[in-house]
Amino acid sequence: MAGKTKHIGSIIAGSLLGGLEAKLDEDINVEGISVGRLIVVDGALNKFFCLLKDVSLEATNEDILLNPPRDDFSKMVHAGVNTFYKLSLQPMLITSQEPEAGDRPRPSTTVPPHFSPVCEATADDISLIFGEPGLTNPEIGSPIFMDVPVCLNLERFCKRSNAVFGKSGSGKSVLARMILGHLVKSDMAINLIFDMHGEYGWSATSEGSGLDDPSLRQLLGSKVAIFTVDADSPLYRKIRPDYDVQIPCGIIEIADLELAAGELGLTPAGIETMYRLHDAWGEGKWLAKFLAMDAGELSLVVEELKVNDQALGKLHRCLSRLKRLPFIKKEVADDTVARIMNEIRAGRHIVFQFGRFNSMLSYILVANILTRRLHRLYVDKTDSARAEGTEGPKPLVVTIEEAHKFLDPAVARQTIFGTIAREMRKYNMVLLLIDQRPSGIDDEILSQVGTRIIGELGDERDINAVLTGLPSQGTLKVLINNLEPRQFLLTGFALPMPVVIDAKEYGLFCDELRVGAGVIGDEIERRKSMDTLKASVFGDDEIRFD
Amino acid sequence: MSELSERIGEIIQVSTTRFLAQSDDLSVLPHFGSFIKTQSQGMNIYGLVFNVYETSIDPNRRAMAFGIERAELLRRQPQIAEFLKVEFEAVVIGFADAGYIRAYLPPFPPRIHSFVYPCDSREVIDLTEDLEFIRSVNALPGLPVEELAAASIRLAYAERGNDSAFLTRAGQEIAQLLKDEYEKARSIIRRISDGR
Ligand SMILES: Nc1ncnc2c1ncn2[C@@H]1O[C@H](COP(=O)(O)OP(=O)(O)O)[C@@H](O)[C@H]1O
Ligand SMILES: [Mg+2]
Repeated sequence: MAGKTKHIGSIIAGSLLGGLEAKLDEDINVEGISVGRLIVVDGALNKFFCLLKDVSLEATNEDILLNPPRDDFSKMVHAGVNTFYKLSLQPMLITSQEPEAGDRPRPSTTVPPHFSPVCEATADDISLIFGEPGLTNPEIGSPIFMDVPVCLNLERFCKRSNAVFGKSGSGKSVLARMILGHLVKSDMAINLIFDMHGEYGWSATSEGSGLDDPSLRQLLGSKVAIFTVDADSPLYRKIRPDYDVQIPCGIIEIADLELAAGELGLTPAGIETMYRLHDAWGEGKWLAKFLAMDAGELSLVVEELKVNDQALGKLHRCLSRLKRLPFIKKEVADDTVARIMNEIRAGRHIVFQFGRFNSMLSYILVANILTRRLHRLYVDKTDSARAEGTEGPKPLVVTIEEAHKFLDPAVARQTIFGTIAREMRKYNMVLLLIDQRPSGIDDEILSQVGTRIIGELGDERDINAVLTGLPSQGTLKVLINNLEPRQFLLTGFALPMPVVIDAKEYGLFCDELRVGAGVIGDEIERRKSMDTLKASVFGDDEIRFD
Repeated sequence: MSELSERIGEIIQVSTTRFLAQSDDLSVLPHFGSFIKTQSQGMNIYGLVFNVYETSIDPNRRAMAFGIERAELLRRQPQIAEFLKVEFEAVVIGFADAGYIRAYLPPFPPRIHSFVYPCDSREVIDLTEDLEFIRSVNALPGLPVEELAAASIRLAYAERGNDSAFLTRAGQEIAQLLKDEYEKARSIIRRISDGR
């Protein structure tokens, strides 16, 4: 038995709805007991796994409060008799005291008897709940105050859209990077990462040390392909990205521009005007034509289409900002979406980087346009696979930082990200949202999020937002309020019960990820060269999925 | 009971819960809160001294003031001692039955003219292993419970070679026994913590 059981109290009251109450043993220092801990109550037939949600000071009579003991001796002897500490516990799961093989912890449907012993969870308890670490069940941290792995079930994780929330500096990008690393390594899903701040590619600057930590490409080698919108960035002098992102003007839709209305300075009149141009000149053509016009040509348009000349002039100025984005091209040499699909087919994971063009504008446009095109392909592939009764395309996890920009209630209904979040996993595509302002995300989307990873949040509105649609909100709220940087509350579909963890130290993650990465990486290389060989022999006709 | 220590008195009045004894020797006063024992029908009965007084032997004549220090007076007029006696009252706190000490009332009181002896160290320790007797003392009317409990605990503490773990345990037991009488518990606890 790993880890000795430590008795800390006994049950004195409780209900299934309101939770359990325990009296803390006198010899336990209350200051060592903090909210969020995992607690086990040994019932007669069942073990109850609970979360500690509150600790309170109690007195058995008023007199002691009015005339408190002063010296240490008196305080000590009154402790436990006239004064005691009460623990409030939220039962989450139960298992039988004598489990049969294959028994898994299940949701708690009863309460333990009076005076049942209350103990701290042991290493065995934690691994019973969260499983043993493994390739598809990687360790991402440990319960606070414990040195035992908490693992994330990646198979379940990939079945829903998920989110990592936390204010800036809470450690969400680092944790997301670790999860993504495991997703890549285990190949549970193909990852598409829109890396606005340049943290998921070759390396990431650590705010702590100011040094560069290795990131996905460095750790996982050729399993990760990097696309960049800023091909000429001095950042890439040493390590070249694999591909440049090129977006032809023709595939930019009005909806894409509407999403970036704030960034472009578009007014409702401007949007109205875009629709007029679109109708007159045709989808796929109007934008390139419009951007190429000079003042003289614009005034002809005013006459021809009977549009307001000021609105048109303003729109032209606004949209001209697109011309400064080097990845938006009139004609493209290379079809980025086709490349992405090739990479996906080859089982590679993709990181999109923005280099010096990491403005919200380029980020929103690139993420939205590429994801929309991919989604269309995925819908087609999935539908035809379904019709033929074959396996659909590989599940895809699309990671977006600053998710609220795409899922704002005003735009969530139109954007592709809103669609993906709502249709769950129907077309083998799910999202990993990373955001510091969850209150900016549409409620309906929030309630679709399968697994929530919640870090420190300052704003009350954000805390309420991340709790949308969850059970035991009161308890979880207390836990969130007590989080420190690099601590996270994990709850939802991929976790058997909510748990507060200290995120794994990134250095340790790197060391562990490297082990075996080489071997798996080699195997992938081997298969790829086989594919290339096959393709050169048989020809590479259709895009196939394996 | 040949190993009995020197006797300190003889019982002159009994009831189920308390007895009164007369001291053999004017010069030694039993201590308030000390543990004493007597024998009755082959059984040791234990008591706790809660009242000690020195009076004239003639209930109709009170002692008079002479204006001379007691020691000097007794040296000059030794006959005065003949007219004085020391009596002490004890509350029954338990008995020994078949070698076990029971901290509750015996089935019968001690008998008049039984001799009274101080408890030895072993007995004090056994009697105070738990402090149940304080509950009985507390239930009887007219006793100075706070003083008595504190004095007996301090004696038991000294008997244990000033074992502070015992004092803590005793304090906790007092808090527990008197949990509905916080003020009383508090004053006992304050008294016993003084002796540390
Ligand atoms: N698990 C971790 N291990 C090591 N350092 C971490 C970890 N989490 C966060 N940090 C440190 O905290 C800094 C901020 O974390 P980051 O994930 O970038 O915050 P956020 O994305 O929430 O703003 C990182 O640069 C790193 O120095
Ligand atoms: Mg970040």
